[in-house]
Amino acid sequence: MPDPLVIDNRKDSLFQVDREVFTSQEVFERERELLFGPSWLYVGHESELPERNDFRTRDVGGRSIIFNRDRRGEVRVLLNTCLHRGASVCRHPAGKAKIFTCFYHGWAYRNSGELVNVPSAEDYAASPADVYGGLHTPRIESYRGFWFVNFSGDAPDLRSWLGTATYLLDLAVDQSEDGIEVLTGTHNYELHANWKLLVENSVDGYHAKSVHHTYFEMMMELGQTPPMLGDADTNGVPPAGLGTEFDNGHATLIYPGNGLPLANENVVRNLAELREKAVQRCGESYATAVFDLARNSIFFPNFVLIDLNFGMILRTIMPVAPDRTEVTSWHIAPRGLDGESLQYRIDNALTFWGPAGLATPDDVEALEQAQRGFTARNEVRWSDISKGLGKARPAANDELQMRAWWRQWNALMTGERLPREVDEFVPFDTRTPQGA
Amino acid sequence: MTAATPNAATVTRSEVEDFLFLESALLDEWRLEEWVELFTLDCTYEAPATDAPASDPGQTWSLIHDRRTMLEQRVIRLKKPEAHAEFPHSQTSRIVGNVRILDRGPDAVSVSASFLVSRMKAGKFDQYAGHYYYALVPGADGFKIRRKKAVLAHDRLAPQGKISFVL
Repeated sequence: MPDPLVIDNRKDSLFQVDREVFTSQEVFERERELLFGPSWLYVGHESELPERNDFRTRDVGGRSIIFNRDRRGEVRVLLNTCLHRGASVCRHPAGKAKIFTCFYHGWAYRNSGELVNVPSAEDYAASPADVYGGLHTPRIESYRGFWFVNFSGDAPDLRSWLGTATYLLDLAVDQSEDGIEVLTGTHNYELHANWKLLVENSVDGYHAKSVHHTYFEMMMELGQTPPMLGDADTNGVPPAGLGTEFDNGHATLIYPGNGLPLANENVVRNLAELREKAVQRCGESYATAVFDLARNSIFFPNFVLIDLNFGMILRTIMPVAPDRTEVTSWHIAPRGLDGESLQYRIDNALTFWGPAGLATPDDVEALEQAQRGFTARNEVRWSDISKGLGKARPAANDELQMRAWWRQWNALMTGERLPREVDEFVPFDTRTPQGA
Repeated sequence: MTAATPNAATVTRSEVEDFLFLESALLDEWRLEEWVELFTLDCTYEAPATDAPASDPGQTWSLIHDRRTMLEQRVIRLKKPEAHAEFPHSQTSRIVGNVRILDRGPDAVSVSASFLVSRMKAGKFDQYAGHYYYALVPGADGFKIRRKKAVLAHDRLAPQGKISFVL
């Protein structure tokens, strides 16, 4: 691999990434080991497994896994590969099962992992159950209902890994005292571009005007005031928003909350009630951060939370090949919302997000066009991610949040640790009791 | 009522087919302003998520849940050169078949059909397969669409990636 892959030139405020990292098979394979091995990877939310014996199969960090709740109620992640010859033991996307049976030779496992049946077991001198135990169960930990997996033995605990970035999850969960839930229905789609391009795009405030011009025109036509036109700070966040970074490559851009497009009186009242309850629980400053600010956050390496408070998206970005990426996106909402408010949130979010939304396809188009452009890597080697470098407080449409992510990428891939740019910024006075 | 005015009790399959073929032609020819006028004011245009095809797009995270206002905005947007994913426009060719009248209500008929949409864009060829469900309201000027639901027979949007045109 060429050296260096990332240039962090503070003297000239230039930050550049070698385009090789978007096309190279070698980089792709090293990422699977060096990035997706030791990082905590988002698997799913506890609300997706409401009952015992519920399961969902997923591909996480290139591994096929079963995310399930076992017969005792414990949440687990099992690697979906038979200990005998490797075939998947579960081929359904979701369902209920106490036992997972490999159809190839019939080895059967309890949903807590133990190997409980081997056809013709008497032919083995050593009992396979004694030799192999059960399905591989990697390390898992949760933070407030968000479950993460780690495929490496010596990672720090999840809480330490997330660090201050836990507050980004708190702000989403604390919309309601009953927490949040993942709605039925998943956006599952593929892009023909490198996965890191979508990571960048997910926290990129700079592209909004050019790529999503038609979306903002539409919203203004429907009577919505565009954000970022105010003049007052909200909990220290200026109208232009800001980017901030945290340890381990997590980052966010924070900006004034959008107006409430298409909201009727009931929806407005419902949101005001949620806000008032949050004030009672957590104080005015914290409630303002929850309800009056919006955030696009990346949890290194590939978990995104886009929190517009009246519509919240979770997204995972999984590399399939150097130029192919699988995206999974869920919608989360406060538990116990009335049907009308729920529909309002869904409809608002859907107008923008997803493979059939009025904005996401244009993002995908931009990334696929970038991937095409990388064919000229021999002639045009570097991508530029310098916007706002050197500012004390980069705005939401600067690129600090991407640089923070790339520095962590660089540290894991090359061992070179580059110093951070700014101090962490948390836009409220007091931490919530739950999050503190 | 004159004999020329169709009503839900007497609608024939070939009348429905003619209408669905017209709709297909408008979409393939990108005559979207005419297409949107096929819909009633209280219409919905829906596509459930690929992993929850039987779910109500009004209460779940679906792919599309447009009412008339958003449907008009979708059309307005798609006709602008800044709708980057669709400029230049895809070429599509759709086959609508297996048309069945499922039910006749007092003022509308429920219809199902199969679709196969082939799409060519910038050297990439994709196909979208699935089933349509319609509520069609017959009137003196032909049918109006009160509800159109496109259920994809895909387990994920791969390799298609996106539904940037009208399905």
